[in-house]
Amino acid sequence: MARSPFHLPPAALAGLCCLAIAAPRLSAAELDEVLSRGELVWAADQEGGGPHVFPAPDDPRRLTGFEVEFATLLAEELGVKPRFQQGQWDRLPLLLGRAADCVINGIELTPERQRDYRCSRPYFAYSLQLVGRRDALPDAVEKLSAAGPGGRWRVGVLTGSAAEMFLRSRHGMEVDVVGYDGTIDSLEQVSSGVLDAALLDDCIFAFYADRFGRLRAVGRPFAGGFYTVLSARDTPRLSAAIDECIGRMIADGRLKSLYDRWDLAGRQQMLQIRDATEVPPATRRSFGELLREALPLLLRSAGMTVLLACLSFPLAVAVGLAVAVGRTYGPPVLRPLLAVSVEVLRGTPLMLQLYALFFLLPKIGLALPALLAAILGLALNYSAYESEIYRAGLKAVPAGQFEAALSLGLSKWQALRHVLVPQAVRIVMPPVTSDFIALFKDTSVCSAITVIELTKRYSVLALSTGRIVELALVTAVLYLCMSWPLAILSRWFERRLEQPTGPQATGEPAT
Amino acid sequence: MISVSSVSKSRAHVRVLEEVSLAGAEGTVTAIVGPSGSGKSTLLRCLNGLETFESGGIDIAGHRLEAGPHAPLRLERLRRDVGMVFQQFNLFAHLSVLDNVCLAPRVVLGLPAAEAHARGRDLLDRVGLGGFATARPSTLSGGQQQRVAIARALAMRPRVILFDEPTSALDPAMTGEVQEVIVGLARGGQTMVVVTHDHAFAKQAASWVVELDAGRVARQGPAAEML
Repeated sequence: MARSPFHLPPAALAGLCCLAIAAPRLSAAELDEVLSRGELVWAADQEGGGPHVFPAPDDPRRLTGFEVEFATLLAEELGVKPRFQQGQWDRLPLLLGRAADCVINGIELTPERQRDYRCSRPYFAYSLQLVGRRDALPDAVEKLSAAGPGGRWRVGVLTGSAAEMFLRSRHGMEVDVVGYDGTIDSLEQVSSGVLDAALLDDCIFAFYADRFGRLRAVGRPFAGGFYTVLSARDTPRLSAAIDECIGRMIADGRLKSLYDRWDLAGRQQMLQIRDATEVPPATRRSFGELLREALPLLLRSAGMTVLLACLSFPLAVAVGLAVAVGRTYGPPVLRPLLAVSVEVLRGTPLMLQLYALFFLLPKIGLALPALLAAILGLALNYSAYESEIYRAGLKAVPAGQFEAALSLGLSKWQALRHVLVPQAVRIVMPPVTSDFIALFKDTSVCSAITVIELTKRYSVLALSTGRIVELALVTAVLYLCMSWPLAILSRWFERRLEQPTGPQATGEPAT
Repeated sequence: MISVSSVSKSRAHVRVLEEVSLAGAEGTVTAIVGPSGSGKSTLLRCLNGLETFESGGIDIAGHRLEAGPHAPLRLERLRRDVGMVFQQFNLFAHLSVLDNVCLAPRVVLGLPAAEAHARGRDLLDRVGLGGFATARPSTLSGGQQQRVAIARALAMRPRVILFDEPTSALDPAMTGEVQEVIVGLARGGQTMVVVTHDHAFAKQAASWVVELDAGRVARQGPAAEML
């Protein structure tokens, strides 16, 4: 029942750990292998958008962007052909040594990355730009230090980006950081009034500014750093060759004219990246230190997972049951309508439904808080599945039960309530329980609309700290700690339903 | 109490009931006999509106059923006064024996729990199952289940009870215990209509016998003369 291509269920996490521990480490392709293959495989996320890597507007099958051109130049300089590899932005480094030789996609140079990967010399300098609505607060970056008219500022960022780290590491700011999976999602949300502001790389806002007429740059670009080409730790010669190539492209002006073609201020870029200061690698912390930092965050996100599942599933079951009864016993005019709605909800991805609830509804003036949108989205999506299960359950109750109830003078609805539905509920208990566990894991899709639950939190932490395996183990244990009691609870519930109790059997002693 | 006049019904262009007329007086038992497929059960199911008919009319326990579809509210009122016992018992599988008996008095008549329970226990005692109140129906023998079904029908204190081949699904050993209960009710003056192919039982329980053949009344008369 996996409905999202992105979520990483607990079983997969556990599997990942086992693989990482048991499998012999595959060595990444070194320079000679890249040369003999005649191809440099570079990874990026075309969903990340412009001006980095994005589908060409006139031909969406072709990729364009300044990093596409940079990768092409780099490959040519190495004497090979470039080949693009798609990946999800915050997981791109995981592709190194498996599906890609390097990552070129606005990856900021950080001490952690210096420690865990080979980082090339900078090829681009970025700054952070705060973006708000015209004629609305905040009108200066400093305004974020005190609460706004509506309380704490809500500022959107790209999850795992330098902007997110900047906001989360700054203390004394009255800011709620909201993480998005796409670069321009946060701009959409500022435009529709859900967020107060967005913080992102200046070149991204410059690229999209025309599309968002209601938005403006707040203050000058600030902070910032460098983009680096990431390659695997065990490919020092490939990394050195990339450094040399970048050096030659800077020296002979090819990089400058590339940036000028993309309106990225080539001359200033050259001034900044020519003499970039070295970023020292971070030191590796002990597991205890890692846990002290990560566990509270993971626990809070685990709470979010439980909250999402436990609030949305009862709603899904209630709606599903109502739809099933309506389709089986309701007025004939209603039945085709219900059937169509079930097919629509079942036939479209949960991710799209969440997007519609969260990003499209504000456009018609109905801005739902992310948590509410997530709960509603999960409940609606699962209600379609539950309704089909309950429909089957209702059909599985022998016809004689309905006739016997009617023959006693019960109305159709009384017969449904007291005789048919209670029996159908018992019949479908096992598939409904298994759907609950499926929904429990599907909550991870909600990260697409900024609700950070356990899987997303793991993924962000693993990539920012580079401790993929240890954190996966911790996360898997947390999932197990949650799903185990749930399984016990549903088995208890199942047993309780097995007992012959009715609306009137209360404390009746056996005779 | 019961009057069926010229009831006809077809199913998929086949006549299943043809101008059937019969009458049953208050406090008497009418047995409907005949070969399989002669329309006995269909006729019985017309009496409480589980099936509709195309022409004719039925008066039962002070209610009138016309040809064509019946209004739900009218049926609900009629069924309070006309109980039914099925060949396959149809006990509610999710409820205890006592709750099977008490459900309709609670839900339909709105009796308080204590009163419904007292009525239910009393009826279970009457059919000899006082000790099975909290048992699940599926743990009972067929004969016991059918006796619970009779108690369930009695709980609404119907003026008429319809029996649709009440012992056909039972093996001979259990047939006796169910027939005994029905004969007991007959002696107590309960108005009943019993569809059966057990002529000895019909003779024992019924005062009037209607024999159907191919949807028509072949003959009818006092039980002593007919069987």
